Amino acid sequence: MEAKSICRCDLNAELEKVIAQHEGKKDDLIEVLYWVQENYGYVPKDVQQIIADKMNVPLSTIYGVITFYHLFSLKPKGKYGISLCKGTACYVRGAPQVLERFEKELGIKPHDSTDDNMFSLEVVRCLGACGLAPVMTINKEPRVRMKPDLVPGIINECRNADK
Amino acid sequence: MHYYRAHVLVCMGSGCVLSGAPAVKEAILEGIKENKLESEVQVIETGCMGICDLGPRLIIYPEGVVYCRVQAEDAAEIVSEHLLKGRIVDRLVYRDLETKKPIPLMKDFPFLSKQFKIALRNAGFINPEDIEEYIASEGYTALAKVLSTMAPEEVIAELKKSGLRGRGGAGFPTGMKWEFTAKAQADQKYVVCNGDEGDPGAFMDRSVLEGDPHSIIEAMSIAGYAVGASKGYIYVRAEYPLAVERLRQAISQAREYGLLGENVLGTGFAFDLNIRVGAGAFVCGEETALLASIEGRRGEPRPRPPFPANEGLWGKPTLLNNVETYANIPPIIIKGGDWYASRGTEKSKGTKVFALTGKVNNTGLIEVPLGIPLGEIVYDIGGGIIGGKRFKAAQTGGPSGGCIPAEHLNVGVDYESLAELGAIVGSGGLIVMDEDTCMVDLAKFFVEFCQEESCGKCAPCRIGTKRMLEILERITHGEGREGDIEKLEDLCYFIKDAALCGLGQTAPNPVLSTIRYFRHEYEAHIRDKRCPASVCATLFNSPCQNTCPAGVDVPIYLDHIRNGQFSEAYMEVKRENPFPAVCGRVCHHPCEGKCNRAKLDEPLAVRTLKRYAADWVYEQNNGFPVETPGAATGKQVAIIGGGPAGLTAAYYLAKAGHKVTVFESLPFAGGMLKVGIPDYRLPADILAAEIKAIEEMGVTIKTNTRFGKDVTYADLEKQGFNAVFIAVGAHADQKLGVPGEELEGVISGISYLRDIKLGQAADVKGKTVLVVGGGNVAIDSARSAFRNGAKEVQVVYRRRKEDMPAFEEEIMEAEHEGVKYTFMTAPVSVQGAGGRVTGLECQQSVPGDFDKSGRRRPVPVEGSNFVIPADVVITAIGQNVQLDGITEAGVQTARGLVVVDPASMATSIPYIFAGGDCASGPDTAIGAIAHGKKAAAAIDKFLGGTGVVVKPRVLTREITGEIIEDKMAREKEACLPLAKRQSFAEVENGFTKEQAIAEATRCLRCDVK
Amino acid sequence: MMKQIKSVDELMKFKEAALDKIKERKADGKTTIVVGMGTCGITAGAREVMMAIIDEIDKRNLSDVIVTQTGCAGMCQHEPIVEVNKPGTPQIVYGHLDEDKARRLVFEHVINGNVISEWALVQRD
Repeated sequence: MEAKSICRCDLNAELEKVIAQHEGKKDDLIEVLYWVQENYGYVPKDVQQIIADKMNVPLSTIYGVITFYHLFSLKPKGKYGISLCKGTACYVRGAPQVLERFEKELGIKPHDSTDDNMFSLEVVRCLGACGLAPVMTINKEPRVRMKPDLVPGIINECRNADK
Repeated sequence: MHYYRAHVLVCMGSGCVLSGAPAVKEAILEGIKENKLESEVQVIETGCMGICDLGPRLIIYPEGVVYCRVQAEDAAEIVSEHLLKGRIVDRLVYRDLETKKPIPLMKDFPFLSKQFKIALRNAGFINPEDIEEYIASEGYTALAKVLSTMAPEEVIAELKKSGLRGRGGAGFPTGMKWEFTAKAQADQKYVVCNGDEGDPGAFMDRSVLEGDPHSIIEAMSIAGYAVGASKGYIYVRAEYPLAVERLRQAISQAREYGLLGENVLGTGFAFDLNIRVGAGAFVCGEETALLASIEGRRGEPRPRPPFPANEGLWGKPTLLNNVETYANIPPIIIKGGDWYASRGTEKSKGTKVFALTGKVNNTGLIEVPLGIPLGEIVYDIGGGIIGGKRFKAAQTGGPSGGCIPAEHLNVGVDYESLAELGAIVGSGGLIVMDEDTCMVDLAKFFVEFCQEESCGKCAPCRIGTKRMLEILERITHGEGREGDIEKLEDLCYFIKDAALCGLGQTAPNPVLSTIRYFRHEYEAHIRDKRCPASVCATLFNSPCQNTCPAGVDVPIYLDHIRNGQFSEAYMEVKRENPFPAVCGRVCHHPCEGKCNRAKLDEPLAVRTLKRYAADWVYEQNNGFPVETPGAATGKQVAIIGGGPAGLTAAYYLAKAGHKVTVFESLPFAGGMLKVGIPDYRLPADILAAEIKAIEEMGVTIKTNTRFGKDVTYADLEKQGFNAVFIAVGAHADQKLGVPGEELEGVISGISYLRDIKLGQAADVKGKTVLVVGGGNVAIDSARSAFRNGAKEVQVVYRRRKEDMPAFEEEIMEAEHEGVKYTFMTAPVSVQGAGGRVTGLECQQSVPGDFDKSGRRRPVPVEGSNFVIPADVVITAIGQNVQLDGITEAGVQTARGLVVVDPASMATSIPYIFAGGDCASGPDTAIGAIAHGKKAAAAIDKFLGGTGVVVKPRVLTREITGEIIEDKMAREKEACLPLAKRQSFAEVENGFTKEQAIAEATRCLRCDVK
Repeated sequence: MMKQIKSVDELMKFKEAALDKIKERKADGKTTIVVGMGTCGITAGAREVMMAIIDEIDKRNLSDVIVTQTGCAGMCQHEPIVEVNKPGTPQIVYGHLDEDKARRLVFEHVINGNVISEWALVQRD
C-alpha cells in the first residue's frame, strides 16, 4: 500500500522523451496521456500545454479526450486512493454496503478526497475479479471479499503506515 | 531436456493473484529448496482455470491434484506431505458441497463436469509466458496449416462451416464478417481485437489474454491472412494490467521466433501487431467507438453503415472480433468446422464462456456447450445457491441484458432461447441472484451504469437514461407514483428505437426484463412503499422487521431485552402480534434469514429471544396480562375458526371496541397451533394462556360449533352480526391417490396429530411407521409417532432433502431422535393382507428438469419398484380447505381457496372477510397472524372505525449500548436430552437470563440510521 | 536467443522437442512408477531409489513415464517399495529395492516390458 509520490522534479523532461518515442504521432495521444496519469497522478494544465505544443494537437482536443475517459483526472488524488469495484457481481454481493461504510468513516462521497488529502474515494468499473466479490484496491493493492466491518481496520492501517 | 517428476502449477490469473498467489508460489519454491527437490519438481505459473473463488489455487501433476485457497503457511505441508511423501493434503483439497467428501483430482470436480473447453483450452494448463509451452500444446499449428495448405477463401469457408458467432455480445456470424472484410478492396486493411471487456460481471477475455495470449496472436495472424491484412491492433482495457503485460511479452516472443513479422514461417506472409490500452470508457466496447479510440480520439460511436468491414480504422477495411471469438479460431482450423459445429444447438453452435458469479457456491469461468439448461449451470456447475437460499433469477448480458426467473430454469442457454425470454447471451456475464436481491434496485444499478457511461453524443441515450434513472430512484425511495411503470416502459421503447449505438439501444433491457418478470416488486415499492428484498433502505427500518409478515419491530424489543426490560420487550412484540410466546417457539423466523449479523458470524436468535421475554412475563404474572378492550362501538363481528388468524383478528377487533364471537368446530380453540403442532414444540398451557388473555378481553369463544351445520350465515344475520371473518384453516387431508389407501393402518398426518390432542390417536406402539411427505406435518407426525413408542419411523419423500418444505431444525431434530429418511422415492401403492397394511410399494426417482418453483422435478424410474414393510402408513402430502357452508352466501372461491383482495382480505361479499390458510393455502403461523391483523383493520374500517388497529407510537431509534462488530457466537439454548424424549415434554428449553442479554447484545441495530 | 522458426517443418520439429515441457501434465496411456515414500520408505532409502529412477529416465530420454509417490502401504519390512504399471504388462509391486536395482528395473520392466519376478512382492490384476 505504498503511498504514491507526487513529486514532479524531472517528470517534464521525461515526458518530452516519451513524446519523442511516439514520434509525436497524434494517434498516440491517449498513450501519452496514460503515461502522464501514471507518473504525475493526474494531468496538470501545464502538462497539457506541453503535449499540445509537442504533438501539435489543439489544447481543446486534449481536454476533450481527458474528460472523456475515466482513467484521466484533472485533479490530484489523495495519498491513499481507495477504489471500489462497482461491477454487478460486487454489487450483488454487497459492495454498496462497503461503499456506504467508507463514506461514513471518511466523511466523503465518491470522486472526492478528505480534507487532509490523505484519502480519496473512487468507484471503478468492473475489475474482472468477480469470483472474489466484493473487490477494492488501495493504491492498486487489492483487497477481496470485502465486508463493511473490515473498513475501519483498513483506514487505520493506512493511517498507521503513514506515521 | 531435464526430466521433472512433478509439476506444480500455480495459477497467476488476476483472481488468484488478488487472493495472494505470489506469496504462495514463493513459499512453495522455498519449501522445494529446503527439501532439495529443485531437480525433481518444477514450479510453473499458469493462467486462470476459472475457479477464482477457490484461489489461490495449485495443481500438482502428474496426479492432477488441486489444492484450493492455499496460503503461504500451507506451503511447507504441501511440500513435505505431497511432494516428498506423496500423501495428499486432505484439508486443502476441494470438498463436495453436499457430502463434504474431499475431491482431490481436478477431473472429478463437479464444477468441471458439464464443461467443454475450447476457447479456454490452455488457460490454467500452460505457462502463458512461455511460447514453447504454447507450441507444445498445438500452438501455431493452425497458423502453419493455413499458411502452407489453405487459400484465404478456404479459411473463411471452414469458419462459416463452424457456425461460430461473435462472442462479444451481438452474435453476428464470424465467417460472414471475415468474408465482408476479405472482399473489400483497399491497399491497407486491419485486424482488430476488442479486449475492452467492459460488461460488469464478465471477465473471460481477461482470462484468455492473461492465460493464453499466444492464441489471440495466432488467431489474428490467421485472420490477417484470410482477409488480406498485414497489421493488427489489440485494444485492452487499462483495468487489466496483467493482461497487457502478458500480451506485450507474448508479442515480443512471437516476433523473436519469427511467428510475427515480415516473413512468417518462411511463407512470405507478413503480419504484425500493436497493443492499445483503453482509458476507461464503457462505450469503447462498441466497435466504431473503439476504432475512434485507437485513433487517439474521444471514443464516440458513429452511425453504421458504413461498417468497419468497409470503412474502419483510418477509413480502411477493418476486421473486428472480440478476444473469445479469436480464441476459438485455432482449434476450428486444426479440427475443422464440423467438429466445432457438433456441439451446441442448430443456430447457436459450439461452446460459450460464461463468468458465473453472484450468489452461487462455485463462482468462476465456465465454458459450456450452447443450449445447456440454465438450471444445470446454476446447480450442477455452480453448486446451487449460497446458504441454501432460493434461486430468484439469473442476469445475463450485463447492462445490455435481462434476467431469467426461476420458472425458466429449463431454458437452454443459447442466442435464440434467451432472446425469447427478453435476455441475451451477451458477452457472457451470468450473475445469479437469490431472494436478497431487489429487482428494482438491480434495474436502477444498470441504468445508473449506462447513464454514467453514456458518451452523450445522442439525446435518447443521454437524456433518456437520465429520465429512467430519476423514475427508478423515486420508486426505490418510496416516492413512486401510479403510472411510473408504464412511463418507464414507454421511455424504454423510445430509447431502444432511437439511440445511436448498441449501448443506448440495449440500456433499457434490464428495466424491461425486470418489469416483465417482477412487476409485483415494482408495485410493492410504488403502492405499499415496501421493498420485499429489504434492499431499498429508505423503505424500512431494519431487514428483520421488513421481513416479518406481522411487521414486529424486532430491533426495538431486542434492545429492551439487552437492557433487562423484559416486560417492555413483550409488549413491543404484542403490539404487532398477540402470540409472542407461541411465535417464540414455533415461528419459522424469516427475520433470522435476513439478519445482517449473518454476514459477520451468525444471525441473531430472534425467535428464542422473543420466547424469553414472553416466558419471563408468564412467570412474573402467572399468565399473560390482559389488555383493556376499546370503548364499545356497538358493532358485532363473527369469526369462523379459532386458529391464529381468527384469534388475532379477535384481539385487534376487541381492542377497537367491537364485540367478537369466535365459532370453533373442535372442543378447543387454537386451530392448527393446537391440533397441528405437537406439545413437545408448543406446550398446551402456553397456548392456552395466550388464548385466555384474548378471551378475557371480552371475546366469546364457542367451541364444538361447526359452521354450516351448527351455525349458518342466516343465524349470524339473525343474531345481529355486522361482519364475518372466515378463518377456517386447511384441515382436510389430501389423499395419496394410490391403490390400497383404504386399508386399515393408513392414516392422514393431520388427523393423526389432531387425534393425539383429542386422546384418540391410533396406537403405534412397537410398530413400524412410514410417513409419506416432506412438510412440517410429516415431520411432526414422525416425531410424535416416535414419542408414542413406534419401533421404527421412516419418512419417505419424493424429492431431495434440501427440497423439503419442513423447517430445517425440525428435520435435524427428527433425525437426531432416530427418524430415518428415504429420499427421491414416490409411493405407488399400499400393500396389505387381511385388510391391514403390510407395506408401501415405492418407485425410485431421479432428478429431472426444473419445475416452476425452481426445484428439480422427481422422475420415477420404471421398474425400480420396491416395497418398504410397514404396519402404519401416515400420509402427509398436503392439506385442503373444507369450504362446507362457506360458499353459501355467494363467497367466491378458486382452486379450493376463498378468493380475497390481498390488501384488505375482503371477499366478494361486502361484509364477509377471509384470511389464514383458507385464503392463502397451507402457510405459517406468522402468516396467519398477519392476515388476522390485516383483516381486523379492514373490518374496523368497514364498521366505521379508523382502520388503524395498531396505534402509532412516538419512538426515537437510538443506540443504547456498544455495537459489537467483532465475531461473537450465537447463544445456544438447552434441549431436552434424547433419553427423555419418550414423552411430549417440550424439547427446547429457551435461554437463561444471562444468555438472553448476551444474545440481544449481538444486535447490530440496523434500524438506527 | 532462440533461433527463428523459418518453416512449417521447423515448427513441427520444434513442437516435438517442446512437448517434453508439458508431457507430465498429460497422464493417459503412460507407464507410471509409484514409489512408496512413507517415513518407513524414506528411512529404508526410497529417496535414493526414486532419484535413481528419475536419473535413469532422464538419461535414457524416456517419454511417457510418470514417477509419483505414495504413502506407507503397510508392508514396512519390504521397503523401499516401487509399483510399476506399464500398459500391456502385469502390474507389479517390487520390494527391497536399492539404487542399482532401481536402475535395472527401469531398463528391464519399463523399457523392455519384462517382469523381474525374483523382486516382485505382489502382482495386482
